[in-house]
Amino acid sequence: MDHTRRVYNDVFEMLPGPENPSPLVRINAMSVPGATLYAKLEWMNPFGSVKDRAAWAMIRELERDGRLTQERGIVEPTSGNTGLSLAAMASARGYRSRMVVPNKVPLEKKVLLKIAGADLDVINDNLCPSPGMGDGSIGLAKTHARAQPDKYAMPNQYENEANARAHMETTGPELWRQSDGKISHLFVSLGTCGTATGCARFFRERNPDVKVVAVQPSEGHDVPGLRNKSELHVSALFDESLLDEVMEIEHELAYTRALDLSRREGLLAGPSSGLIYEGARRYAERDPGAVPFGVMIFCDNIFKYVSNMIKHMPELAEGTTA
Amino acid sequence: MADYANPKVLVTTDWVQEHLNDPKIRLVEVDVDTKAFDAGHIPGAVGFNWQTQLQDQLRRDIITKDNFEKLIGSAGIKRDDTVVLYGDNNNWFAAYAFWLFKIYTHEDVRLMNGGRAKWLAEEQRPLTVEATKVTPVEYKVDQVNTDLRAQVGEVLEGIRSGVKLIDVRSPDEFSGKVIAPPGMNETAQRGGHIPSAASVPWATAVNQDGTFKSADELREIYFKKAGVQPDKPVIAYCRIGERSSHSWFVLKYLLGVEQVKNYDGSWTEYGNLVGVPIER
Ligand SMILES: Cc1ncc(COP(=O)(O)O)c(C=O)c1O
Repeated sequence: MDHTRRVYNDVFEMLPGPENPSPLVRINAMSVPGATLYAKLEWMNPFGSVKDRAAWAMIRELERDGRLTQERGIVEPTSGNTGLSLAAMASARGYRSRMVVPNKVPLEKKVLLKIAGADLDVINDNLCPSPGMGDGSIGLAKTHARAQPDKYAMPNQYENEANARAHMETTGPELWRQSDGKISHLFVSLGTCGTATGCARFFRERNPDVKVVAVQPSEGHDVPGLRNKSELHVSALFDESLLDEVMEIEHELAYTRALDLSRREGLLAGPSSGLIYEGARRYAERDPGAVPFGVMIFCDNIFKYVSNMIKHMPELAEGTTA
Repeated sequence: MADYANPKVLVTTDWVQEHLNDPKIRLVEVDVDTKAFDAGHIPGAVGFNWQTQLQDQLRRDIITKDNFEKLIGSAGIKRDDTVVLYGDNNNWFAAYAFWLFKIYTHEDVRLMNGGRAKWLAEEQRPLTVEATKVTPVEYKVDQVNTDLRAQVGEVLEGIRSGVKLIDVRSPDEFSGKVIAPPGMNETAQRGGHIPSAASVPWATAVNQDGTFKSADELREIYFKKAGVQPDKPVIAYCRIGERSSHSWFVLKYLLGVEQVKNYDGSWTEYGNLVGVPIER
């Protein structure tokens, strides 16, 4: 494997790590006076998102434990990105996969899962939220895994420590090296909370002065992969004590800022990146000079959200037919 | 602590596991999302689809006595069997099926407290995709108990005569801000609620884990706060009659309110009627 020439024996060699970090790109047109912000472009990972890291760590652990075989594949609840990484990895390694997604996940992601070779269960997770736990996509995936243990193993990104560990072992060390130890702030989003918890654990050990700031959407959002704080109880990896601050941003801005990033920075960032940018911007503006080296995790790009973008900005569809 | 009025109708997940091999105990799963049953169910359970099996397929109505007899007989359930219902979404449609079984006067019907979510949350509980082998039987309904069901005439009459109406939908449906919860197909022309109805969302009756609250807590909610009088007539309604079956079950079996009816036409009937009074 030779990362300088970028010639690889298989797609797995391209997965990120301290020797092959995802790129850090400085924000220019949309910068905040007195602050330096970098975006870590996770969509440059081979399967297109930050979730390559968790997916790979979980698959390798299942393989190590002998739980994946020609007969036994993977079932996982997903808002799309983890599923896409898992499905593509599973297909390339000869395992079956089945992904359970909430209906509100954009069509692009559902179709991508099928393209990557997954069987798809789409379920209406939009019912009045029931106070009981266990229905919905997580419940259905658990049902598959328990009813057919010979056919499915469930990585369960929401509870799997390997998810956080992936970030402790890759994202954190990459950032440390890429910034020459100068990183002062890390801005993350909260979904499974693997990114937040794993990176924060790394920095608590390496340099506890690094501030870890989480940015979450306001209630009623439609940003796949993210949870409002009121929904975080399903994320066993959520550990608020590791976070210096949790900011809430009006969820509509996820899409507006994503558009700005495309048009002004040339960064074709997805909505969770848009939201994180807005959080980082406000944080940096609040206290000029306080963010000498801030990094934002840009989880994925805008390609999978065309239908959502049109929903939020119908004018984007204008003039698209002859 | 005072007990439920009819503790026998509620069974625990432990009880169900202990009775998995009891041929007189018949498990029936009824879900909002019918994918759940196919993905895995409690060993020995049969699944009913609320849309295609518990409704009349031509008129808007519950299944007829004849069709109920055919359905239950084809599931191999005998008239003297103990039927234990469970399902997703806090037993919404399991409670609806419970109500149907009671309309067709099946004697011993019970609900598994906490539903499929509780079963799933408990690691040691088995699930299977294996179809349950059933031997069809002749199932005969000797009596129909229409007292459990309110129809629209009775509801309109009830507004006038002061029957206690309980609206179990969400606060936003009650206020007319939305006509149905997001993503639901069945809606109405108008939003709001039936005049004089008290708002007691169905979810106020359950704990975090989906089990029913204690009798004392339920009494506080329905008798003290909502003003239900246990010896007076009550009508519960929601949107299509499933969430109100859940509250109907609480009122009738856990609190012992004798004269409680489920208005299964609910808002998808009432909110479409021409000329009836609506409050917001
Ligand atoms: C687009 C996107 N952004 C952010 C996240 C959140 O990352 P994490 O699950 O590590 O908290 C996810 C996770 O699914 C995601 O898909």
